[in-house]
Amino acid sequence: MTTEATIFEECAEIVAHRHWPGAQHVLTLHAPLTAAAAVPGQFVHLATGERHALRRPLSIMRAMPGQGWIEVLYKAVGRGTQVLAERGVGERLALLGPIGRGFTPVAGRPRALLLGGGVGLPPMIFLAEARRQLARQTLVLLGSEVPFPFQPRPSQQLIAGMPHGVIGTMPLLEDWGIGCRLASRAGLPGCHDGFVTDLARLHLDALDEPTREATMLYGCGPEPMLTAVAALAREYMLPCQLSLEEYMACAVGGCAGCVVPVHEPAGLAMRRVCVDGPVFDAAAVYPG
Amino acid sequence: MTADPRLEVPFCGLTLKNPLVLLSGCVGFGHEYPRVAGFSNAQVGAVCLKGTTGAARPGNPAHRVVETPAGMLNAIGLQNPGVAHVVEHILPTLDFGQTCYIANLSGSTVEEYVAVARQLDDTPLQALEINISCPNVKEGGVTFGNDPDMSARVVAAVRAVTDKPLITKLSPNQADIAANARRCLEAGSDAFAVINTLQGMAVDIHTRRPVLGNVQGGLSGPAIKPIALLKVHQVAQVCVPHGVPIIGQGGIASGTDALEFLIAGASAVGIGTGLFYDPLLCHKVLADLQAYLDTHGFDTIGELTGSLQHSA
Ligand SMILES: Cc1cc2nc3c(=O)[nH]c(=O)nc-3n(C[C@H](O)[C@H](O)[C@H](O)COP(=O)(O)OP(=O)(O)OC[C@H]3O[C@@H](n4cnc5c(N)ncnc54)[C@H](O)[C@@H]3O)c2cc1C
Ligand SMILES: Cc1cc2nc3c(=O)[nH]c(=O)nc-3n(C[C@H](O)[C@H](O)[C@H](O)COP(=O)(O)O)c2cc1C
Ligand code: FES
Repeated sequence: MTTEATIFEECAEIVAHRHWPGAQHVLTLHAPLTAAAAVPGQFVHLATGERHALRRPLSIMRAMPGQGWIEVLYKAVGRGTQVLAERGVGERLALLGPIGRGFTPVAGRPRALLLGGGVGLPPMIFLAEARRQLARQTLVLLGSEVPFPFQPRPSQQLIAGMPHGVIGTMPLLEDWGIGCRLASRAGLPGCHDGFVTDLARLHLDALDEPTREATMLYGCGPEPMLTAVAALAREYMLPCQLSLEEYMACAVGGCAGCVVPVHEPAGLAMRRVCVDGPVFDAAAVYPG
Repeated sequence: MTADPRLEVPFCGLTLKNPLVLLSGCVGFGHEYPRVAGFSNAQVGAVCLKGTTGAARPGNPAHRVVETPAGMLNAIGLQNPGVAHVVEHILPTLDFGQTCYIANLSGSTVEEYVAVARQLDDTPLQALEINISCPNVKEGGVTFGNDPDMSARVVAAVRAVTDKPLITKLSPNQADIAANARRCLEAGSDAFAVINTLQGMAVDIHTRRPVLGNVQGGLSGPAIKPIALLKVHQVAQVCVPHGVPIIGQGGIASGTDALEFLIAGASAVGIGTGLFYDPLLCHKVLADLQAYLDTHGFDTIGELTGSLQHSA
């Protein structure tokens, strides 16, 4: 048996590095092999530039095969991401990508609700962009406890079930013609004062039965949000896929360092987030 | 890169095409790293497969790995599908013409080591490595490896059921590694792997909990290199008179690191954590070894083994 080589090692030049409040950073890297092969839900394993340091897994937010660049959004939370935040345009970082199994469409579910919390936003943007190319109906709901890593603007699109005054959207998605609403408990203008799952519930309740039955959920974000999304999917009986995080060493399946328990027909199995995931069926990881 | 006969290493009756060995637990069962374009098991002298036990083991709860200064802790807990699955489903998929594949045996009891060795004896595996130094399991592992009597018992029992070359993987978590090596040598070990990880721990100050699900783990990476070098040097004193080779390991992340181990007494050098920093590291290390032979006037890499000059 020969394993197919699907992951590339690239010495990626930093094309842009934009810094947002809340220690959030958007990094654009020239990584043509990764850009050409990436699908939504996949991630890169990025060196921070420090010697003798493990790489950091970061979801791909955008991939432009034509121009050969990819974009990631990360929050500086610890040493590695703080070191990364100091890297400037023109510097090069070693990168492995694209890695992992991405999101997969489910038959009979052409509509999708994409829920992103905090720095769980990147895979939702990538998925929204891919769905736009397929002209699939998509609503993106994003939540954050710090200002968003973009300047929200009022949306011109009507979305079923949204409370009065909840009109803020992500400009990129608005420009793509994709519906989007924002939630935050930080009192941000135009945003719902609560969680993304509250907005999702309001929207689902406003749909008629056949439309709801044509819908599925995708989610990425902090653990409490993922469990809430999985619970919502159970309650409304919707298929749901979640992108998970776990500490990683190799990110290519070699060390079994990144496993999560997954409920499979044959029983509970320890599966690697890096190559068996990072996207898993919600019911298999949070059976309730 | 084309094969360079100067890098060939005789190793307990085998010929390794070069001294690089991919280390157990870092490269799965051989099929994982080839996902990376430009990586091939054929580039190295040998590949040690993941620790294998009698029955399947699910391993430890998360987190299993965490970074530490110039290194990392792991507490995988020997997750593996069990020896029967390895023999039936994994070994038949490996290309034994590419490189030497070495199994890594583990168990909770001497009987389990023996049972695993028996089942691996009648396979194309080129050698067996006895892991009596895993710090991440409740029974067996390092509790055997830190006790010279138990270490020798495991080695003798495995020796009795297989003719394959036996490599004993020694623990650095013991008072006198050389004394233990001597006992294992007498019990029939053909080679040594020096060193396995050191026991360590990390604390999450936000939750005030251990970071690792298993509380403690094994420390690897450049942080342990000086300790590993000393242990190789000590074990070499026991091995060299008997012509018994050592796979030096612990923190190798460059050609210079590899050379240090060879000079200190190793015949081959293992790379584990270094691959996590750079999955294509082996190319670079091999190129550095060749360059060293060229500039320092050595004909073969074997001449370097144990060439340490004693200070005046
Ligand atoms: C598949 C995947 C995709 C991810 N995508 C993003 C993203 O798009 N944006 C983003 O901001 N973050 C993302 N993360 C989380 C990100 O990898 C961590 O925040 C980052 O590794 C923290 O490193 P640090 O050195 O700053 O933190 P420290 O806490 O100092 O890190 C210490 C060690 O723990 C690991 N670690 C700590 N937290 C996490 C975590 N949540 N997940 C994985 N490893 C962790 C680090 O990699 C490092 O090895 C993703 C994680 C995974 C697994
Ligand atoms: C994630 C991980 C898993 C490991 N699993 C095993 C194992 O199953 N059996 C074993 O003998 N050693 C295991 N080891 C130890 C390595 O094989 C090696 O001896 C050690 O990490 C030192 O080398 P390094 O610093 O180059 O990684 C493991 C190490 C790591 C980092
Ligand atoms: S990080 Fe090594 S197997 Fe996933």
